[in-house]
Amino acid sequence: MKGMLQYVHGNTILHKVPPLLKLLIAIAICAACFSTRSLLVLLALIVLDVILGFIGNIGRQTLRTLCSLCKFSSIIFVLQIFFVTQGNALVTLPLGVRITDEGLRFSAMICMRLIGATLPLTVMLTLTRLPDLTRQLVKVLHVPYKYAFAFTTAIRFIPILARDMAAVIEAQTARGVELDGNFIKKLRLLLPLCVPLLVSSIRKIEAGAISAELRGFHLRGKKAA
Amino acid sequence: MIDMQQLSFRYESAQGNALTDITLHIPRGEFLGIIGPSGAGKSTLLSVISGVIPHHYTGDFYGACVVNGMDTVEVTPTDLSRVVGSVFQDIDAQMVSSMVEDEVLFALENFGVPAKDLDSRVEEALATVGIANLRHRSLDTLSGGQKQKVAIAAVLAMRPQVLVLDEPTGELDPASSQAIFRVLRTLNEQGTTVVVVEQKIMLLSAFCKSLCVMDRGSVRLHGTMREVLAHPELLREIGVNCPRVATLHEQLLAAGLSAGPVPICVEEAKAMVEGVLA
Amino acid sequence: MIHLNGVHFSYEGREVLSGIDLDIASGEFVALIGPNGAGKSTFSKLLNGLNKPTQGTVTVAGLDTKKARTSALARKVGFLFQNPDRQLCRSTVRDELLFGLELCLTDKADIQARLDKTLADFHLDPALNPLTASRGERQRVALASLMALTPQLLILDEPTTGLDWRECMHTMELVTALNRQGATVFMVSHDMEVVRDFAQRVLVLNKGRLAADGTPHEVLRRTELLSDAALLPPQIMQLSLSLGANYDDIDTCEEMTESLIRRRLEK
Repeated sequence: MKGMLQYVHGNTILHKVPPLLKLLIAIAICAACFSTRSLLVLLALIVLDVILGFIGNIGRQTLRTLCSLCKFSSIIFVLQIFFVTQGNALVTLPLGVRITDEGLRFSAMICMRLIGATLPLTVMLTLTRLPDLTRQLVKVLHVPYKYAFAFTTAIRFIPILARDMAAVIEAQTARGVELDGNFIKKLRLLLPLCVPLLVSSIRKIEAGAISAELRGFHLRGKKAA
Repeated sequence: MIDMQQLSFRYESAQGNALTDITLHIPRGEFLGIIGPSGAGKSTLLSVISGVIPHHYTGDFYGACVVNGMDTVEVTPTDLSRVVGSVFQDIDAQMVSSMVEDEVLFALENFGVPAKDLDSRVEEALATVGIANLRHRSLDTLSGGQKQKVAIAAVLAMRPQVLVLDEPTGELDPASSQAIFRVLRTLNEQGTTVVVVEQKIMLLSAFCKSLCVMDRGSVRLHGTMREVLAHPELLREIGVNCPRVATLHEQLLAAGLSAGPVPICVEEAKAMVEGVLA
Repeated sequence: MIHLNGVHFSYEGREVLSGIDLDIASGEFVALIGPNGAGKSTFSKLLNGLNKPTQGTVTVAGLDTKKARTSALARKVGFLFQNPDRQLCRSTVRDELLFGLELCLTDKADIQARLDKTLADFHLDPALNPLTASRGERQRVALASLMALTPQLLILDEPTTGLDWRECMHTMELVTALNRQGATVFMVSHDMEVVRDFAQRVLVLNKGRLAADGTPHEVLRRTELLSDAALLPPQIMQLSLSLGANYDDIDTCEEMTESLIRRRLEK
């Protein structure tokens, strides 16, 4: 979790590409993932993402993200296999449950799309300084400063939230909550913990908003309007 | 510089008053510490000075608070922020960017400082708090003490005449806390009026010129550090700790020894002990 | 109660703790002090199995933390985090305490008895919503939820941060009471006055190693060692140090007053 979506400083060619162009490339790769039906093309796109990660000198981090995405999508994969029943049965289980070649193909495609679409966004955001992105959104795309700021602030909050969540999990583990069970059990235990997290996040966001207001945030809002 | 007249405030959703009938005058060049038990209204008082109350947190506001000639109810917090700089306790939440330089630039760009001056203003603000070398660092690589200095620099960039801080050393170790207060003292010596809410009485007594003790929305004691610390019993009743040297002074008096005026630091306590034995 | 044997701990390739040996007996009240970033939190998390040593062994209450599950340790070790909000997750004090108790115990009658006793001991309103309470109250609920389980070892990570003086004294009284009943207390703190007043043994952690280990009197008067660790002696110790060798045994206001009365009489 640590360091996810957090800017990693560097001097690679990808760091120097204008932020908007980077975002555009990432979105293009996402779009490609969703428009193709070929597993080979999807695989190629994922490999491309990883290569981009290595060019940006965050190869190891990219592989780590890929790894956790794989874990997550394997759950979806298993669920999907049983839902799709068209095609030729490869394995037939009791109660009429069958695993088909079409089901296998479809599940693989869903998972690879998920990975292929998430990865470029995380890679690009890790290689982009958020204020640069805000500035370009305002200057080039003429997005009102307020919205651009809100957008980048939201992204900036993700690692903070992730860190808070990790701390909550740690504290609950310390008092005896066992979180290494299956996915459903984990979800049931973690959901109530999200409430205090939400409360503290709202406090944080409010403090941030006041801090921005007291440093003239609204002045720029006016000028842009 | 700051003048509060019979000021009362009740938060919209709250039952009782957060502040009750506060009359407080803070002169230009003051270095004031504010202490008191939790729920005393310390943070609320700072929010009034910075205009966050009643503009952001609404409620029943009576009386007046005038800062540098501006009535805080009539001008917006943004206008007020040209005069009053605010630093908060939650170090991470008050940041708006991920790089030190951008954090300081934020206010400068908002207030429309000409592009040619930006560089020198950033340099000046960072140098004032002693972190010019951190200019190009990412915020998440800094220690808590360094981040709090960035927060102060980001506010200083606007060259405010008043600096208000809400428990700025809450999460810091003794050395980093002292470093923050040394920065505040330097700023104060250069003419900035400093108002700081803090629970650590030893820090306040070592650095501030005066002390204001609050309890349940009211100002109970206000005066020079020595004047306030001369009331140890009242302080304990309110729920405020005394520096140990002041407690020692109290005990010496109780034992019938002539200890002289209350000491506010170790050096003065040493003189007191030598005086008792002379 | 606690045995550390040649413990090293690395995080993301950086060695945070290097070669720590330590024995803490049952019933001790130990304080760990040191600068920010010295690894104090990392250290305390080794003691309840949240962190596992990279090298060496940590044994707590007879359990090897590398082999034992953290949940098994939770029955014997209470850990109070610096930020109580990390721990609290239920909307009333009663539910919060019950949640903690039910995680570790199964006997319904025992759980009910502990719940009632804790509510009474801590003067807590069972219907209070911890999420809307003040920081001091939230801290008290978090502490109550740990103490309800009467842990053998209580770990406190800066328990007085963010509290006012009265709340701070109240927390420390509760901790001291548990210590008198036989629990071992391990406290990380920045407040030298609190350390002086409550701890029986002080450890200084600096640059990944234990730089000192002794009574508050022995450790907190070593100005040079402390300043190297970004710390200062408590105020009265600073005073007696500045007054010279004749005041070597004076650590508190009471001792100083007594000594001055005696010296006056001798004159």
